[in-house]
Amino acid sequence: MSVSVDTGGKGGKKPLNADLNLVPYIDLLTCMVAFLLITAVWTQLARLEAKQKAVGQASTEEQPTIPTVKITVIINEEGYNLVVDQDQTPIPKVDEKTYDTEALSEQLKKLKEAHPDKNDVIVASEDAIHFERVVQAMDTVISARFTDVSLIDAGGAGI
Amino acid sequence: MPIRAPHSHLFSSINLHVISGKLGHGGRRAVYEALNLVAYIDMMTMLVIFLLMSFSATGEIVFVQKNLVLPDALNWSELDRAPVVSITKDVVTLDGRQVATGDDLNADPATGDSKLTELHENLVTLKNNYKLLHPNEDFLGSVVLQCDKQVEFKALKKVMYTAALAGYANVNFAVQPKVKGAAAAE
Repeated sequence: MSVSVDTGGKGGKKPLNADLNLVPYIDLLTCMVAFLLITAVWTQLARLEAKQKAVGQASTEEQPTIPTVKITVIINEEGYNLVVDQDQTPIPKVDEKTYDTEALSEQLKKLKEAHPDKNDVIVASEDAIHFERVVQAMDTVISARFTDVSLIDAGGAGI
Repeated sequence: MPIRAPHSHLFSSINLHVISGKLGHGGRRAVYEALNLVAYIDMMTMLVIFLLMSFSATGEIVFVQKNLVLPDALNWSELDRAPVVSITKDVVTLDGRQVATGDDLNADPATGDSKLTELHENLVTLKNNYKLLHPNEDFLGSVVLQCDKQVEFKALKKVMYTAALAGYANVNFAVQPKVKGAAAAE
């Protein structure tokens, strides 16, 4: 296949025809489409990071000389329970199935304002809680600008 | 009809059949029909542009199983290459190979060990292989957990415990990204 560009010309002169050969272009497109179809990523996934201490290993982080508050978000069947050191703030569910993430978010934002240097929060879950609730809680904690989230078992930690 | 430059014509009174056949079409209608490839090229061009925009050099890191629904998250980060552990109610797989069953997940930790033995051995093997292949690099201990959103935390904590025993302290949960908010990495 080719495209002919006829520039015409005066009588007696040799006409100037420039044929643009599109066959290599079609071949290139076909090869590119085949390659890109094979390497295409159709499902875009992301990650939510959580830390846990390796069992049996001592913490390698330096112990802070200034005592800081310990913030824990406990997820149980009744709802959330926000524990700051020894103070507990229960946040019950809105209805049978819906957890009150907005109230949790407000409480966490107040804590962040009170402790702007504090970045770590522990999320503790009971056994029967579904994974999506755990992710929802972790997401709410990160939205409140606590970037260092650890996930532990509420029962095993004696909470 | 295209306009062509005038050329020689053979008068019909001259009986030169060979010449008249070559000059005209031999009195027959042309059977050729040009195939219009313009639309085809346009389609291929659009397809290439679309596929180039969705191209990722990292490739597919996690292949989502059919019966696995991931939870949504607002504050997500880009997925990095790491061993992928898939957890459903019935089976646990590591990079596509089954390493535990639903019975192992539901077993009471009070009556037995919480560690998933086969998963632990495979993770340790992967860790050792990584250290052999990358002697000058630190082992980050990252693992990707692709967990169905209806799985209970009781099952998840066993996998996390096993991963921690094997030296994988950085757990990354695979999630469906929603509108990107403040990234956790910031």
